[in-house]
Amino acid sequence: MSIDDATGNVFLGIGVTNGQAYGKIKFLNSTYNYDFKARSSPNEERQRFLLALEETVNKTKEIAKRARSTIGEGEAQIFEIHAMLLEDEDFVDSVLSLIKTGLSSEEAVEKSGEKYSNVLRALGDEYLSARATDIKDICQGIIDTLQAKNDKKEEDSEPYILVAPDLSPSETVKLDKSKILGFVTFEGSATSHTSILAKAMGIPAIVGVGEISKNYDGELALLDGIRGRITIRPKEIDVWEYKNAKAKENKLAREHERYLRSIMHRPAVTKSGKKILIYANIGEASEVDGAISNGAEGIGLLRSEFMYLARNNLPSEEELFIAYKMIAEKMQGKRVVIRTLDIGADKQATYLNLEREENPALGYRGIRLCLDRQEIFKTQIRAILRASAYGRISIMIPMISTHGELLKCKEIIKSCEVELKNKGINFDSKIEIGIMIETPASAIISDILAKEVDFFSVGTNDLSQYTYAADRQNSRVSGICEENHEAIIRLIKMASDAIHEEGGWIGICGEMGADLSLTQELLDIGIDELSVSVPYLLGVRGKVCASN
Amino acid sequence: MKEFVFKILDKNGLHARPAGAISAKAKEFSSKITVRSDEREADAKRLLSLMSLGAVSGKELHFHISGEDEEKALEEMKKICFEKLGGQNEH
Repeated sequence: MSIDDATGNVFLGIGVTNGQAYGKIKFLNSTYNYDFKARSSPNEERQRFLLALEETVNKTKEIAKRARSTIGEGEAQIFEIHAMLLEDEDFVDSVLSLIKTGLSSEEAVEKSGEKYSNVLRALGDEYLSARATDIKDICQGIIDTLQAKNDKKEEDSEPYILVAPDLSPSETVKLDKSKILGFVTFEGSATSHTSILAKAMGIPAIVGVGEISKNYDGELALLDGIRGRITIRPKEIDVWEYKNAKAKENKLAREHERYLRSIMHRPAVTKSGKKILIYANIGEASEVDGAISNGAEGIGLLRSEFMYLARNNLPSEEELFIAYKMIAEKMQGKRVVIRTLDIGADKQATYLNLEREENPALGYRGIRLCLDRQEIFKTQIRAILRASAYGRISIMIPMISTHGELLKCKEIIKSCEVELKNKGINFDSKIEIGIMIETPASAIISDILAKEVDFFSVGTNDLSQYTYAADRQNSRVSGICEENHEAIIRLIKMASDAIHEEGGWIGICGEMGADLSLTQELLDIGIDELSVSVPYLLGVRGKVCASN
Repeated sequence: MKEFVFKILDKNGLHARPAGAISAKAKEFSSKITVRSDEREADAKRLLSLMSLGAVSGKELHFHISGEDEEKALEEMKKICFEKLGGQNEH
């Protein structure tokens, strides 16, 4: 959409990256310009196509590999999907049958691409419609190969803002970042792969601006990703303001990001010399790769519910074992803290037939359920123990509020160990056992509990709602938890002193661990480990290194 | 012949990545595996076909598996659906 202001050159779209850029705009020339006449007999065309297809698949897999090492796992998967689409039987069949009718390979590929793009667009789902661009992208890839067109890098002396009708993911990746200030596309949505890639690469971008006339090619423009706006021939005052802001903010932000990446694999040591463990919270096996690539030194909280929810029956010991073993092996000897099943009236699994409760947060959940239905608990403990032979696993029990509960749990773990031993199955006989500190009761009797365990991990979300008696889901009262920390800090300090007295360690695995304004305070009361979700890993490591 | 129904919990529905994972898994089996969602039916081994179901979050996928390794295929398909569409993924 374009609007007319005083200069008449403002285009509005969706900002997908929060950056700004100023420079000349340059149009990407991506129109098909091929010889679409059939060159040879259908049989020969068929051979030509199959060869080009194979080459394109290999090239795409190569790009996936490159993306994995330079951008990230999520982005690499996009190209793996491309490779799969290329090899899709329906697509290949469609091309081959068109070739049979006498079309050239190029025409057949383009027509088949259009057909499947239209099918996806017609579904009316934004996410799948965005995949239509991917289909076009792979078709372009085959046609490029057929035409033996090399990916020639354009030699541009000056950095520029790239303008294009639509950018395919592979075009986006090929862009020379040092030359591109940002990009603007006529089409595209906030969920298109292009947007996702732009975010990952940190290029300011806006999509869906509608058509921009080619007459503007080479004009100076101001791109504002925050407001989703591009101004061609902007006013001088706006440029001046942009330059000032840019100098201050963007440079600092990028330097900070670069700095964080540079210290990623160094231990997180405070200025006073204390080493803090930076671990990741994960909720499913597939998050392990992201944790590793963001410098996690271990998994501080594996929410084991992922194996129990959204299914119709309990997972078997074997299923659990395989999942845990895989995670332990991927972490290569780094600590993996598995929290035993924390399920209850608030996290429903229908096959458990749990009754509805008036007050699920204070109800039948976590270890309360596991001690009542011990077979469920024992199955999980056996699976964890068996997996412990393949890495460094710790067991963490949620929702402990009494000494008796903890003793009962340890007894069950012991009995599982004996059972495995009798069967001659290997496990880590020195497996660490810890508990979550999430009920105020557990913090208050932490001196007693500390004698029984190797570590504590504070679940600050539950601990604060129980301490302040304020439901975090209820926006009228949740502020009480979020804005006040004195009471909870005192409870954590009690637990920290208690566990250190016994020679154990203490971590934080709740949201408080990722709140950088509280990092110093947590370090001051002796926290040894901070476990946060993957996107916060770098920031927390940076903060710890800058703390006392 | 084996059957099961899986309700998509992932907020993005049966989009490219889970569809890719499901078709890759389905190809490991010799059994014929079809998936129905509403009125559309797809061959689970074909990525485009799966994506074309347009199965959004909340829709049910009806799997029909028949062949020599249907027993094992059933287990594995359940597992992959749960992993990729179980609603625990963040995108």
